[in-house]
Amino acid sequence: MLLLKSLAKVIDNSGALVVEVINVMGGMRVASLGDEVVCVVKKARAATSDGAANAVSKLKKGDVARALVVRAAQRVRRLDGTFVKFDDNAVVMLSKQGAPLGNRVLGVVALEARQKRWAKIASLAPKMV
Amino acid sequence: MGMICNFSGFKIYPGHGKTFVKSDSRSYRLLNGKCESLFLQRKKPSKLSWTIVFRRLHKKGQAEEAAKKRTRRTVKAQRAVVGATLDSIKAKKNQKPEIRASLRQAAVAKSKDAKKAAQDKKKAELTKVKAAQKGNVSKQQMKGAAPKVQAKSR
Repeated sequence: MLLLKSLAKVIDNSGALVVEVINVMGGMRVASLGDEVVCVVKKARAATSDGAANAVSKLKKGDVARALVVRAAQRVRRLDGTFVKFDDNAVVMLSKQGAPLGNRVLGVVALEARQKRWAKIASLAPKMV
Repeated sequence: MGMICNFSGFKIYPGHGKTFVKSDSRSYRLLNGKCESLFLQRKKPSKLSWTIVFRRLHKKGQAEEAAKKRTRRTVKAQRAVVGATLDSIKAKKNQKPEIRASLRQAAVAKSKDAKKAAQDKKKAELTKVKAAQKGNVSKQQMKGAAPKVQAKSR
């Protein structure tokens, strides 16, 4: 349940660490699992550090980019009647065309990513729940 | 196969419960708000007497479960059927294999004899018919059909 001003963790290696949502795509007010958002990088890895060295395109603090919500602390109902909720809010950074900016994803990703056709990110994810 | 609550050990039927995924990627299925709340408070299920973990640990209710399991076998009783009384079924069942074999052989020999007799009889009839007819007779005529009409002109 990410809104304007919500902070989220970035779990890929695009260089950003913490990101603040400034807009939710699709005219919705609230972004949940599998939704795209526009966000501002609030905290990024230092450009010279190892973590950012692997990144395809390094994001710096203040950059505006798109992202996909892959974990949400707010519970989400699945179609089989179960509810899922994660420990935190997390996103994967995307380019404007919808391709992930990093080339690796660290941590769990919700199944909704594949269900909403984000196949590239689903394939990068080490574990999907 | 249903889901089991990771905290209490009870079954989670469809439409119930929550799945909680921790930051270390481990997911926990929780049956209801009670389990969820206790889980988030980091209580240990092995210390709560109503959970299955506790009951197993302290060996509660094992005697009842064992007793329940024992009384499930039913005894199969042989019954009489139309055309075979209980005694005849039992007699057949207890027939010694040698006797059964000899009976079988007798029956086979009997049927063979009967078959042979029938074949001989058939053969005799055939020779009789053959003798009655003269010259070359077709198969169909042997069987008793009318003779083929000879062509007199082309």
